[in-house]
Amino acid sequence: MTTQRSGGELTDPMTVDEFRATTNAIVANIEQVIEGKTATVRLALAVLLAEGHLLIEDVPGVGKTKLAKALARSIDCSVRRIQFTPDLLPSDVTGVSVYNQETRDFEFKPGAVFANLVVGDEINRASPKTQSALLECMEEHQVTVDGVTYAMEIPFMVVATQNPIEMEGTYPLPEAQRDRFTARIAMGYPDAAAEYAMLDGYHSHDPLEDLTSVVDGGTVRRLIATVRSVHVAEAVKRYAVELVTATREAPELRLGASPRSTLQLLRTAKAVAALDGRDYVVPDDLQTLAVPVLAHRVIPTADAQLARRTTDAILSELVHRLPVPHDRGRSPYDTRPATPPNSFYDRRG
Amino acid sequence: MNSRRHLGLVAGAATVLASAPISDIFAGWSWLFEGGLMVAMVTGAALGARSLRGRLWAQLLAMLAALLIGLTWLFGEDTAILGLIPTPDTFAQFGKLFALAGEEVQKSYVPVPDLDGLLFVSALGMGSVAILVDLCAVGLRRPALAGLPMLAIYSVPVAVYVDSLSPIPFVVGSIGFLWLLVSDNVDRVRRFGRRFTGEGRGVDVWEPSPLASAGRRLAVIGVLVAVALPLAVPAMSAGFLGEFGSGDGLGQAGKGPRGNGRVDLFAELSGRLKQAGVQDMVKVTTNDPDPFYMRFGVADQISGGGFASHQPTGQPVSDDLPDPAGLDLSAVRSQAATARVEITENFAMPLLPVYSAPTSIRGLDAAWSYDPGLQIVYSQRANSAGHSYEFDYVRAEFTPDQLRTAPTMAASDANQRQYSNVPGVPQVRTLVDKLIEGKANNYDRVRALYDHFSAKNGFKYDVAAPAGTSGAAIVDFLNNKRGFCEQYAAALAWMVRTAGIPARVAFGFTLGGAPDNGVRTLTNRNLHAWTEVYFSGYGWVPFDATPSTYVVGSAPTAWAPDVDAPDQTPDGVRPSLSPGTSGGPDGPGGPTRDPIDPEGGLIGPIVVDDELPTWVWVATGGGLLLFALLITPALRRTMLRRRRGVRAAVAASGSFTEVGISAADLTMTVVGDVDTARRQAHAAWDELIDTMIDHRLVVDPAETPRATVERLISTALPASVAVEQARLLGMAEERARYAPVPLSAERLTPAVRAVRRAIAGEADRGVRLAALLMPPSVLLRWRNAAYSGFTTLSVRMSRVSDFGKRVLRPLRPGRLMR
Repeated sequence: MTTQRSGGELTDPMTVDEFRATTNAIVANIEQVIEGKTATVRLALAVLLAEGHLLIEDVPGVGKTKLAKALARSIDCSVRRIQFTPDLLPSDVTGVSVYNQETRDFEFKPGAVFANLVVGDEINRASPKTQSALLECMEEHQVTVDGVTYAMEIPFMVVATQNPIEMEGTYPLPEAQRDRFTARIAMGYPDAAAEYAMLDGYHSHDPLEDLTSVVDGGTVRRLIATVRSVHVAEAVKRYAVELVTATREAPELRLGASPRSTLQLLRTAKAVAALDGRDYVVPDDLQTLAVPVLAHRVIPTADAQLARRTTDAILSELVHRLPVPHDRGRSPYDTRPATPPNSFYDRRG
Repeated sequence: MNSRRHLGLVAGAATVLASAPISDIFAGWSWLFEGGLMVAMVTGAALGARSLRGRLWAQLLAMLAALLIGLTWLFGEDTAILGLIPTPDTFAQFGKLFALAGEEVQKSYVPVPDLDGLLFVSALGMGSVAILVDLCAVGLRRPALAGLPMLAIYSVPVAVYVDSLSPIPFVVGSIGFLWLLVSDNVDRVRRFGRRFTGEGRGVDVWEPSPLASAGRRLAVIGVLVAVALPLAVPAMSAGFLGEFGSGDGLGQAGKGPRGNGRVDLFAELSGRLKQAGVQDMVKVTTNDPDPFYMRFGVADQISGGGFASHQPTGQPVSDDLPDPAGLDLSAVRSQAATARVEITENFAMPLLPVYSAPTSIRGLDAAWSYDPGLQIVYSQRANSAGHSYEFDYVRAEFTPDQLRTAPTMAASDANQRQYSNVPGVPQVRTLVDKLIEGKANNYDRVRALYDHFSAKNGFKYDVAAPAGTSGAAIVDFLNNKRGFCEQYAAALAWMVRTAGIPARVAFGFTLGGAPDNGVRTLTNRNLHAWTEVYFSGYGWVPFDATPSTYVVGSAPTAWAPDVDAPDQTPDGVRPSLSPGTSGGPDGPGGPTRDPIDPEGGLIGPIVVDDELPTWVWVATGGGLLLFALLITPALRRTMLRRRRGVRAAVAASGSFTEVGISAADLTMTVVGDVDTARRQAHAAWDELIDTMIDHRLVVDPAETPRATVERLISTALPASVAVEQARLLGMAEERARYAPVPLSAERLTPAVRAVRRAIAGEADRGVRLAALLMPPSVLLRWRNAAYSGFTTLSVRMSRVSDFGKRVLRPLRPGRLMR
């Protein structure tokens, strides 16, 4: 088995100011196309810098694909777009080995996934077999075809969109695949002012056409290296674990978040912290990320579903209940009982 | 509306129930009718005002008007228009009734008959209480407050009866109060909506809640404890409460039948002496050139409350009265005389004043009897007012030498047995033993005790002194040395009895002013009490211990001379009772100091009174302890703040590195010593959080420093200068917790101060005061500590019990048998 490695190494992290300037430029570039969605745009960028994948889920026509394409265009790197349909085959995604008459050998034709940015449109329209073709490359950043493993370039990001409304003829993403997306975001409708501005902007032509890249792949690699160097205090790591553990213990959730989500949560938090101009992660970062990073991975219980409780609501409530970490151990204002809950309180029932 | 109507009716009924203690005052039940009518009218007026949706003031006005109309109806007596609408005359009538009630209070003894004045006052009182109860319970929805006016009713019999009171009226009253509370709470719970039991069964509107049984049990226990606890404390009825009575020192009040021949002489005495104005009571003419006091009553029994009289017994008055008890007239010089007495309307008692000892009385009908033992003329049914009569009497004159020969009586002697028993009071016993030490005979002993009450020893006359003749009151009097005839007479009698010599207290009139054309006019100011001591063979010999300077018409005798006379050198007078019991010339009663003998107090030994009563110490100690308890949280808070301030101030030393924090737009320095900087940031942050808790700002443990500060700025510091400082504190704490390099602490202390000032400036005064005196942060921390301690304990206990279950249960015999 051979491994082919492509893309650059992650070296030469930037300073805080340089990082801020670069990322602000990217965000401003994307905002030429997507009006009034700064938080969403920054989150998408954070996912890119956290080496994760993004699932954009919303009703049609709110700019899901536009965001994905704008992000791709802002970075001067290879971009591929896959329109998922029920008849799409796995080999269309990963690539296929073709017999070359001249060399008398099988030659690997890379699929659409071999790019820095892969935009998967309407991912839930593809059959599970095709969807699962994405699995390996998303998590392991590699594709194995005919016993040969091909590594993906850095950065590598899958931006998938899906439509939650019209579910007929769709294959909902399996749990394993959902877990591979670092964050799920909803675009939401623009506010009136942004929509009005959009009318002007899109009056004559699509501004996406005018979008030029502001960074190249090397710069993105440097950004990623910077994110990797962000400091995470022990207390914050503890908090991340507590947060994820809380989803597993929450009575309203049938399935909690996975250990992979803990890792991705912290990684994204680092990216958010860096975007915010900090070289350290604060619990606020984790709190803002709890819903986008964790909500799509958990499954509510039947009771919670019947009560129309969305996972978003359950998770934000969880965040508001969990005391923030303290580098001095327990907070003096924490009024919870000091003893583990399985000793005394369990017996009362 | 319906619920308020119900509550209003309950309030009225509860007021009537709470009036139950008044039944102890009145002999009849007219008060209940009239008072109940007042309550009903007030309640009706309140209901009417509420049904017309009147505001609270309108309800109050309606109730006041109803009370006024009701009183006019019942007590207006033709002064009102149509008998209901009050006129100025009506108010004059009310004023008269008030004055009448004042007199009746002074004259009457509980239980009183249906006297107009007192009925008026009780109806007015019940009506007023009904108004207050209705206002508190229905108007303000604070039924607990309604307990106070109800308690005011109960305090009336408590003030009147010193000794003890039947608990039944209290229980009835408390049932009324509890009823009110229950009705209010049922109504409150009802307003939440429909109620359910734990099984989901609906609970009817007025059905008690399944959870109410605990409250019921608590209420019953509370009432039981309130009734039983005072019974378990023996001293409650004896001395302590007696101090608060208004001269009604009779012990047997409320117990047993009260014949007319038996009145509360002490109450009469002090009431009349304190009464404003002078009333003529008795006009007496006698052919005796040197008469002694006229007597009409005797108190010869000692009970818990002090001296009291007993039921007199004797024959109807006739021309020939029995000889005075125990007096051998042949042994002493005696003077026969005749006196004529006219009683005015102001002296209305079932007793008649006579000189001692009458031999025959003329002009009285068979309603009057003579008790030869007490030597008093009494009646079971007649009243002395308006009587006039004539009597012969024999006045005996004793000499000290004669009295010295009187033998000590045998212990079996009836007089000795009856009149020398006295409750042992150690202080009195000590004093008496000291005074009579070395005295050979009874007379000298009595003289030694008598002479003790001299100005030289610091005794003063003070009609405003607390009344009462119980043991405790006697001791107080002997210590304070302030009192009037009642205390002097009772104290001397008590001491003489303590010395083992029979003694009693006699009541009557002094000689009064100078006779006008032979007629002595005796007024209420001449009412007096003195001591009589029994000498074998001489009978009852009077000793008047009250300082004669203050007694108009006092009559010093050869055997009991004026102890304060200048040439008098009384033997047996000790300089002081015992160390530290001197009242001292600088005592609190300064203004009442003898104007004639201003040095009177100075002659006695000046002993600084350093032995305060115990209760003063207890009260002071309790007060200090309370103060210490109250101030502890504030002190703790101050200490915490100082410690944090000091900690933050240490920062000044150390090496700094300039680092720009552009996010906060604050140029900050980072201390070389990272740990110190972290600690300082934490101290400043803790102080900020404590300040927020102190000022009732919400602190959420699930909130990050950044979020906490932003919330603080948006809620408590709108447009304040301290916004930047607050952000700085949040940033410092955030970096101290999560960043590799913390911020410098040097600007944190002033920042904390500025934020604290800003928060306090935004808070209202009550919150600020509470933050200063009772800082909630400290209390919360203590509570948490107590709570977690309790939880730990519970867990340990449950572990022990688990262990018991797991290990010990299998060993139980019952299990082995199975």
